[in-house]
Amino acid sequence: MTTLVHRRLVAAQLDQLVAESPASPTVLSADHRRSLTARFRAVSTGQHRRLDAWSVEQAGRPDASFQWSPASARRTIGNRALGRLTTTATASLAEAVSDEVTDHLLRATSGYARPGSLAHWLASASAPVMGVVRAEAVNWATQLCEVAVGLEASWQVASNDAYYDVAAARTTLRARRDLVVARGDDRVVVRLRSGAPGKSAGAGLRADLTIETLAHPSGVSPVRFIGLWPEAGVCLAVDATMADLRSGARDLVRTAMVRRRDHDTRAA
Amino acid sequence: MTSLLDSPQSVVEALRGDRLRRPLVDHSVAAGLRAVLEDGIYGIVGTALLTTPIVVRAATLARPSGTIDLRSSSPSRLRGVLVHQLLRLHCVGATINDALDDATRAWRAQDPSNDLLAMLDRLDDDERARLSTDVTAHWVTFSRALGDVPSRWMPRTSVRASQSLAGGGVLLRDVVDLMIGTVGDDVASVALFDVTTAPLGVGAERVMRYHALVQTLRTSTKPLRTATFSSATGELLVRDVDDEMLTRSVDEVIACVGDRWIER
Repeated sequence: MTTLVHRRLVAAQLDQLVAESPASPTVLSADHRRSLTARFRAVSTGQHRRLDAWSVEQAGRPDASFQWSPASARRTIGNRALGRLTTTATASLAEAVSDEVTDHLLRATSGYARPGSLAHWLASASAPVMGVVRAEAVNWATQLCEVAVGLEASWQVASNDAYYDVAAARTTLRARRDLVVARGDDRVVVRLRSGAPGKSAGAGLRADLTIETLAHPSGVSPVRFIGLWPEAGVCLAVDATMADLRSGARDLVRTAMVRRRDHDTRAA
Repeated sequence: MTSLLDSPQSVVEALRGDRLRRPLVDHSVAAGLRAVLEDGIYGIVGTALLTTPIVVRAATLARPSGTIDLRSSSPSRLRGVLVHQLLRLHCVGATINDALDDATRAWRAQDPSNDLLAMLDRLDDDERARLSTDVTAHWVTFSRALGDVPSRWMPRTSVRASQSLAGGGVLLRDVVDLMIGTVGDDVASVALFDVTTAPLGVGAERVMRYHALVQTLRTSTKPLRTATFSSATGELLVRDVDDEMLTRSVDEVIACVGDRWIER
């Protein structure tokens, strides 16, 4: 039986979610990885596929082609700005965001940014667009900061997302993560979302949890994966039980199958 | 506190007020408001399952049901959106060179397929020049009154909120133009600020109350104050958020849901 906990997004409730997470994590063995690989390999693909919680929540519907926008850039810049604020003597989040944008521009002008990257896009953006990017990033970072500062446990901003490449199946799984909260030797992973949680939010969290666990070198899961929806003022959490991990893996394979079927239908 | 200033020296100062006189943060009121809302809506909708939710927005509350508001005409909405974009740029310290052009670029980057934006693109040269003058005039009035927003007050713009009631049958949606302060303080410090390009009327107070209510439901914390500024007249209306204001807004939301229910 899978788990799903629903709480109001207030500091006390979030602290409780962290403190009362399961006592120990679940560990995925090499057999589990092999089993998952076999299932993905059974769903053949002509091109490399990338799956994440969003594709699970959208039931495998193909994404529109990605392009940078203030909304898609805010998380990258906002998270790094909050990380910068916690590790350097930056005075405010707004300044940290400005410094982060400047870093991207420097990377672009020094030739280190590849075409299609955020730095490359920012370098070609007009001043008003840059202003909106900063405004969106400040909003994102402020929301995350308000959540993080209210936590009693120690936390750090996740420096990157979790990626797991399924061997010989031309499949990359990606789990987004924004905060990693320490709970003894274990970890609780927190992800910030926009909008309000839909009916498939739990499935999305389980997909994130599964990928996060697969991406760990020893297959150790976080004890709990928490999704925050500040616009709606709610948070949802899933525990790292084997049932939740299995459910997450099943949803990912199912999503790959739907994608494959869609591809075949279009090709026919 | 209620003040109506014809020429405010600094809107931001009025929003923050005196730190020593702020009340302790109140986490207790949200649950009661939610319960009253749920009960009130149940009294209207009953056990009916709504396949399409009744959506309440600030604009819905700004005018009584069955009336026509000239502010909802396309040119007025266009002007309002453009001034809002300029507010966003101002709050991050961006330099505004050409009010209309900068606002349009900022808007297009966020919402390229908007119908209003398409309408803006269809304006002829004369209409565009008139709009440019209009937006610039509103912007000058507004930026002078607002002043610089210190970044240590954590200003964020276009803050969205969505609250689901009656099992998803009623949705309260809201966008606050500018929010400063944080819910993490020991004293109430969150100030909500709206800018309108129309003169302030009775509807403005309803919108201010609605912002306070939705923010309270969203964060389970009562904000410090709520304000509206008119870039048409330079008037600023500031109200401290109290229980009476929130209760009144609950009644207005329930009445609004009742009107929408009858219209169905």
